Amino acid sequence: MGKNTSPMIEALQAELATSLSSKVIKSDIAFNELTIEVPAADLLEVALLLRDKHGFDQLIDLCGVDYLSYGESEWDADVSGFSRGVKNTDDIFNFDAKPEKEKNVNDDFEAGRRFAVVIHLLSVKNNKRLRVKTFCEDNDAPMMDSVHGVWNVANWFEREAFDLFGIIFVNHPDLRRILTDYGFVGHPFRKDFPLVGQVEMRYDEELKRVVYEPVSIEPRVLVPRVIRASEGTRDVTEADN
Amino acid sequence: MGIEANSNTQEAGFLTTSADKLINWARTGSLWPMTFGLACCAVEMMQAGASRYDMDRFGVLFRPSPRQADVIIVAGTLTNKMAPALRKAYDQMAEPRWVISMGSCANGGGYYHYSYAVVRGCDRVIPVDIYIPGCPPTAEALLYGIIQLQNKIKRSSTFARKKVEA
Repeated sequence: MGKNTSPMIEALQAELATSLSSKVIKSDIAFNELTIEVPAADLLEVALLLRDKHGFDQLIDLCGVDYLSYGESEWDADVSGFSRGVKNTDDIFNFDAKPEKEKNVNDDFEAGRRFAVVIHLLSVKNNKRLRVKTFCEDNDAPMMDSVHGVWNVANWFEREAFDLFGIIFVNHPDLRRILTDYGFVGHPFRKDFPLVGQVEMRYDEELKRVVYEPVSIEPRVLVPRVIRASEGTRDVTEADN
Repeated sequence: MGIEANSNTQEAGFLTTSADKLINWARTGSLWPMTFGLACCAVEMMQAGASRYDMDRFGVLFRPSPRQADVIIVAGTLTNKMAPALRKAYDQMAEPRWVISMGSCANGGGYYHYSYAVVRGCDRVIPVDIYIPGCPPTAEALLYGIIQLQNKIKRSSTFARKKVEA
């Protein structure tokens, strides 16, 4: 692997490969961090093994990911130094669009599957960290086993992932929205959710309460104005001379 | 305040003024704001209330309850989820009441104008008297806004009366 990889991480990778064997679909080390991918069906089993056998007694973070239009951008990032393999597309917010394998620069996920859940784990006694990624099988109704029974702290993290991405966690004790407004419709962190949303709010003098109305403004892509091109700095110094 | 000096009454220990001026003097001298800090603007509001700028000098004392407040300072991003609570707090304030909208977010959504979760200006929910620009406005800007509100109140008249033809 990379030259900055510590032997400790490589040892953990080997250890998990033997212990979890076929349940690990993929195992990568990047930036000295280990990421394993696990099938959704095996997640609960793997989670229990990681906690009880490998000492990952603490869940640091759990979040959802939407891979729709992954690796594409609405604005050209090449000049800014933030290039991430940008491909400009006009119909980026197409609900029926499915990620295709060819489209993806990093080739980081299996074709066709849109939603993933990423879990970050910490083993205090072994001083090791691990990232576990799981893809939901169904794009229309993404589902996953809740790891609340394994790590209690997952409760609100899973509610957040449900609220923002619409991922349903099976056997979660209290799967309600946690961040968005009461009665909110949709899952705002999905890539096909328009940034301006569907509704806006105002106070109605006659009804004497705040009411929702269809949104009145057009969505807009905010393109950052880059003023720090690499040649730009040189030009300034030359002008000074 | 427009105190009229009349030699006879003054000598007797009386000063004369209009009721409007007296009432407005009292109102502007004790503008009690309700704390409605929603985001980073609230930190600047606290700064204005602390010892360096010291809003107490203007009779501005923060109150924890809308029932005791004359003015509400909406300091920060008003989200959809918060909007009914803001309206309820405003409705609980006793008349006369004023509203200061502090910062870009409260004025018109600001940085979050295109967000699905933010009210594009708190004047969509409550009527605003003074808009203070800035992101966030400095403590001086907030003080200036309060003084502007005082000026606005001074121009108002409590008693409606017929205009006397000259």
